[in-house]
Parts: sequence; structure tokens; C-alpha cells
Amino acid sequence: MLEARALSLCELTEGQSVVIELSIDDAQMRQFAELSGDFNPLHTDDAFARGKGFKGRVVYGALLVAKVSQLIGMRLPGKNSVWASLTWEFLEPLYVDQAVQLEAVVSSISASTGLVELKLTLRRDGKKLSKGRAEVLVVD
Amino acid sequence: MDSQAHYATLTDVFHDVFDDDTIVVTPELTASDVDEWDSLRHIRLVAAIEKKYRLSFSAAEIARLKNVGQFVSLIEAKSAR
Repeated sequence: MLEARALSLCELTEGQSVVIELSIDDAQMRQFAELSGDFNPLHTDDAFARGKGFKGRVVYGALLVAKVSQLIGMRLPGKNSVWASLTWEFLEPLYVDQAVQLEAVVSSISASTGLVELKLTLRRDGKKLSKGRAEVLVVD
Repeated sequence: MDSQAHYATLTDVFHDVFDDDTIVVTPELTASDVDEWDSLRHIRLVAAIEKKYRLSFSAAEIARLKNVGQFVSLIEAKSAR
């Protein structure tokens, strides 16, 4: 089992960042379809997706949000934190097996409350595909 | 900024944090007067006020506050430094 980091509030600074490399493969897409019950052919059928003007099956947006969960829970800030909010905007589609980078940057820290705001960006070859913000409560 | 202006600013913050435009922010207002003022909402409120005024409070300063009037006094004291 992977071990989560455990950054405390005093170890966080504005501008601190973490990047995780990821790609969503066919097995993850099938597992997510089963888990979510979302069998929309836009995500399961290449021909259907191409017929709608996409280059192939579009990765589930919520599967990308699951990777945000991984980043927060395992890396920044890690296991001393609980997710309090998320806003997320999909700008461009991500396709199966494409390599992307998910970055979180600490944008503000409230020392009195432990509330930390993260600016989130998903990029492929430097191009922004999704962006958002998350609030995380750090409980030391 | 005078006290009246602080209450106007805090009214906007309260309306946004609690998503309730009917809240009237007075010096006597406390958590027991607002239904949804729970611990997480309290954290959001303090963080939103810090951001709005570009101030940082300590946990001890926040713990000592009994009502909004005391919060305004804290904001005024911090802003004057």
C-alpha cells in the first residue's frame, strides 16, 4: 500500500507546488464505467465519440477529479488534510492513453483556521486542459 | 475604513459564505443566531475575512472572539498596525 505524505500547516508555503504525471488507460476507463454506472458511449465507444467530433473516447471528467483526490490525499498536503471544496472547469477533452501533468500550487494559507487553497491545472504538452481550485483543511 | 464600512464589507462576506442574503450583520451577531454557522462554515468565514482584508489572524485571536463586534475590533486593530 502506498504511503501518503503528511505535510503540516507550518511546512506549507504559498507558491509550493506538486506535479503528478498520469495517463488514463483503457482498464481505468472500464473500471470507472462500472464504478460510476456511466456508460455514455462518448467514453466507451471510439466510433461514437468520433461521430460527435472528438478524436476518440473522452476521458471521464470525474476520473480526472479522482486524480485530484490522489494528489491532495497523497502528496499535497497528504494525510493530515480533508478536502473542503472544489471548483473545476473542463477546457479541452483528454483522450485515453494521453500523458498529462496535474499540478497543484498553494495559493493561500489561513494559519488561524488551517484552510489551504490550491490552484489546480491539468496540462498536456504545456496546453491547459482543465483548471480549478480546491480548499483543503489541514488538521495537524 | 470606519466601523460602518466594516459592517457593510462583512455583510457581503457573510452573504457569500452562508449563501444567505437575509443575514443582518450587527455587533451582537453570534454563531447561535445563524442556523448554518457550524465549525466548517466558521473556518470559511474567517478565511474569507482574512482574504478580504488581506490580514492574518492567529488561532488564539479567533478563539477569543465572542461576537461580530469583537471581530470588527480585531480587524481595526490589525489594520492599524
